[in-house]
Amino acid sequence: MRLVKCWFCSSTIYPGHGIQFVRNDAKIFRFCRSKCHKNFKMKRNPRKVKWTKAFRAAHGKDMTKDKTFEFEKKRNRPERYDRNVTENTLKAMKKIDKIRSAREAKHIENRLKPNKQKKLLDDKKEHDQHIHLVQAPGVVSGKIKVDVSEKKSVQNEAMEE
Amino acid sequence: MAAAFASRLTRGGRSLLGGLNNGGLMNESILSQQQQRRTFIQMGTVLKVVDNSGAKKVMCIQALKGKKGARLGDTIVASVKEAMPNGKVKKGAVVYGVVVRAAMQRGRVDGSEVRFDDNAVVLVDSKDKNTKTDRQPIGTRVFGPVPHELRKKKHLKILALAQHIA
Repeated sequence: MRLVKCWFCSSTIYPGHGIQFVRNDAKIFRFCRSKCHKNFKMKRNPRKVKWTKAFRAAHGKDMTKDKTFEFEKKRNRPERYDRNVTENTLKAMKKIDKIRSAREAKHIENRLKPNKQKKLLDDKKEHDQHIHLVQAPGVVSGKIKVDVSEKKSVQNEAMEE
Repeated sequence: MAAAFASRLTRGGRSLLGGLNNGGLMNESILSQQQQRRTFIQMGTVLKVVDNSGAKKVMCIQALKGKKGARLGDTIVASVKEAMPNGKVKKGAVVYGVVVRAAMQRGRVDGSEVRFDDNAVVLVDSKDKNTKTDRQPIGTRVFGPVPHELRKKKHLKILALAQHIA
């Protein structure tokens, strides 16, 4: 089973999916779905369309350099079938996938780190600047009513004494 | 009660018509935005000849299979519209050809589809009733990519002559 990558979005094309376009110079463009095919017909550059892998790689959004990518490569020399090797490979595939997804998550976390700190600083600054807007809880807006009559009476009593 | 029923009917009818109209308008706008709609190779389709038989362009006058027209890999009857001055095929001749490239997509056995840049044909000889061999190409070279589906149609000679097989 040969899995190929979509020319536009770089996703995997499984057998029986998508369409392939053969240009007159015999270059084959494979597309995973009509969305990618249509975007190609509109002559869009995948590096400039935000949802493609090419864009994300070009703009540092995704991890591009990693050892785990080395495994997924087209090799021109066919490997002789060996049951043990196949079994180990199948086991390794799951593990590699796990490691890669963890690393990708870490990459995104690292990428967003400076932003998080900046946001915290900005929030702190805004808080300091606009502290006068903050009201203490329990304070009622408008005039504060104070019952004065009782106080007065107390004072009067004190005077009499 | 009858009046109420009638009014309901008319309302229903109007909404149905409205829906139809909307659908029609939408289809038209989409078509105008897109490139030319690619369809079957039918009577009047002009195809490029991609071999050295001497013909440059042929016009399809009959598809040998299918009601709607010919697709990728089908055989057509065509009339030569443009030809080289000293080629095997002369202008105005009625020839047979195999469609080796079609702009309309064609399903493959695995369910995916394949589409080419243009409509192109390779000229083949007319099959005699006596010799029941498959049609052989007239030219000795085939230019550009051809689909591997030709093997299934038993045009092995064309595949062997082709530069690229897609």
